[in-house]
Amino acid sequence: MLDLFYQFLTNTGYYLADYRHVIMIIVGCVFLYLGTAKKYEPLLLVPIGFGILVGNIPFFKGFGLGIYESNSVLHYLYFGVTSGVYPSIVFLGLGAMTDFSSLLANPKLMLLGAAAQMGIYFTLLGALFFGFLPKEAASIAIIGGADGPTSIFLTAKLAPHLIGPIAIAAYSYMALIPVIQPPIMRLLTNRKERLIRMPSGRQVSRKERIIFPIVGVLLCCFLAPTALPLLGMLFLGNFLKECGVVNRLAGTAQSAIIDTATIFLGFTVGCSTQGDVFLTPKALGIFFLGAVAFSIATASGLIFAKIMNLFLKDKINPLLGAAGVSAVPGSAREVHLMGLKEDPTNFLLMHGMACNSSGVIGSAICAGILWSFFI
Amino acid sequence: MFGIDNITNNNGWAMAVVGATTVFLGLIALTLVISQIHRILDLWENRGKKLNGKKKQARSEDKHKVAAPEAKSNRLPTVSELTSIYRPLVEQLKEPFQLIQLFEKTKEMNLPHAHLSIKSLQEADILLAQGDGTFTWNKLKAN
Repeated sequence: MLDLFYQFLTNTGYYLADYRHVIMIIVGCVFLYLGTAKKYEPLLLVPIGFGILVGNIPFFKGFGLGIYESNSVLHYLYFGVTSGVYPSIVFLGLGAMTDFSSLLANPKLMLLGAAAQMGIYFTLLGALFFGFLPKEAASIAIIGGADGPTSIFLTAKLAPHLIGPIAIAAYSYMALIPVIQPPIMRLLTNRKERLIRMPSGRQVSRKERIIFPIVGVLLCCFLAPTALPLLGMLFLGNFLKECGVVNRLAGTAQSAIIDTATIFLGFTVGCSTQGDVFLTPKALGIFFLGAVAFSIATASGLIFAKIMNLFLKDKINPLLGAAGVSAVPGSAREVHLMGLKEDPTNFLLMHGMACNSSGVIGSAICAGILWSFFI
Repeated sequence: MFGIDNITNNNGWAMAVVGATTVFLGLIALTLVISQIHRILDLWENRGKKLNGKKKQARSEDKHKVAAPEAKSNRLPTVSELTSIYRPLVEQLKEPFQLIQLFEKTKEMNLPHAHLSIKSLQEADILLAQGDGTFTWNKLKAN
């Protein structure tokens, strides 16, 4: 009987746990705290945080329990991540939720979305500099796009063994926008620039909004066909929303479908961070490079906005450059709040959303381009 | 391998330059296209108006053409008929005008009985002499 009790004890998580599991469980609790108490991107951090807890409960290998063991339930759920299914579904929902009116009213703001993608290419060079393999470097670089689903999608295609750290880094930095972006915004702009008011955009007709996803998908996907799974779904979702004849489908895409995909995406990505496979020097390098990528992306947008102002008659508020990263709507909200701090009557939210939505398109194109380099 | 060598050996510089350029060009193209959508839509939506405008113009030209044959009959038109025929001609002249200018217009439009018609309009006080050889159109009487 004592033997049986001892055997049971040796099979428990308490016996099997080592320091790496404990560290990751603490990380999971921090995510849950940030998501729940601080309300930093709760839709992402709560499922990921809970996934980290579940993924770091030690178990006997070979029982078909872990996410990396074939035939386990978690493994089947994780298939949506490794195959790129969840990111595509998230993009469908994102498209159905996005209103491109502000971008259509002021198309030049799209260039800020392009400029903010420079962080991706600087980080590509940085990752190669630090000795990462080219496919790994490209996967790390896409963190600079500040787009979780895009990062997961590209990493699943190029370096599936890095999905965990890259997804955690991407979502962490998206959640930490209120901490990372404001100091860079203050550093690179002066008060006079932050006070620049943006003119309210013209009225955008329904026909324009209907035509945009068609033009967008044709132009972007002809340029980077490898971005089809992301941009095709994004523009499909947007067309469902704007055409006005399939409101039921649009409603489902922007609620039940994206919510289901987000839950499974976040949870399984969290589960994939098992301490023994996650806590490696490479993962630390990815976190460092991810922070660099995000900061350079923010700075690129800001600097490009200032350069544009040298040539434009109607100046644009350079803070909007920071919203060129595709963290929707976090970075637009930060830009708006920073603008309000300087002038409580200066509302930059809608202009920020224009840059944000162009950032989503830009980072998906970048993912397609990077993937095509290795086909 | 680390450092610049790793970047160079793995084609890193080329990937960065080509990637950055491509995404910029792609989004610039999209910017240019979406900035024109509303203009193209305006043109498309107003094509009817523009066509109608051309049709109206054509119709007004036709009116002149139609008016002329009517006036070509041997019967001298009544004053009110003359008023409606001559008003568009006078509107093309700067007031005060000389009668010779009005005669030239009647020739252009191929109107018959020009002298008689103008005399009738004078007698009806629709063409008012200014005393210096010039005339004006009496809008009050003409209405």
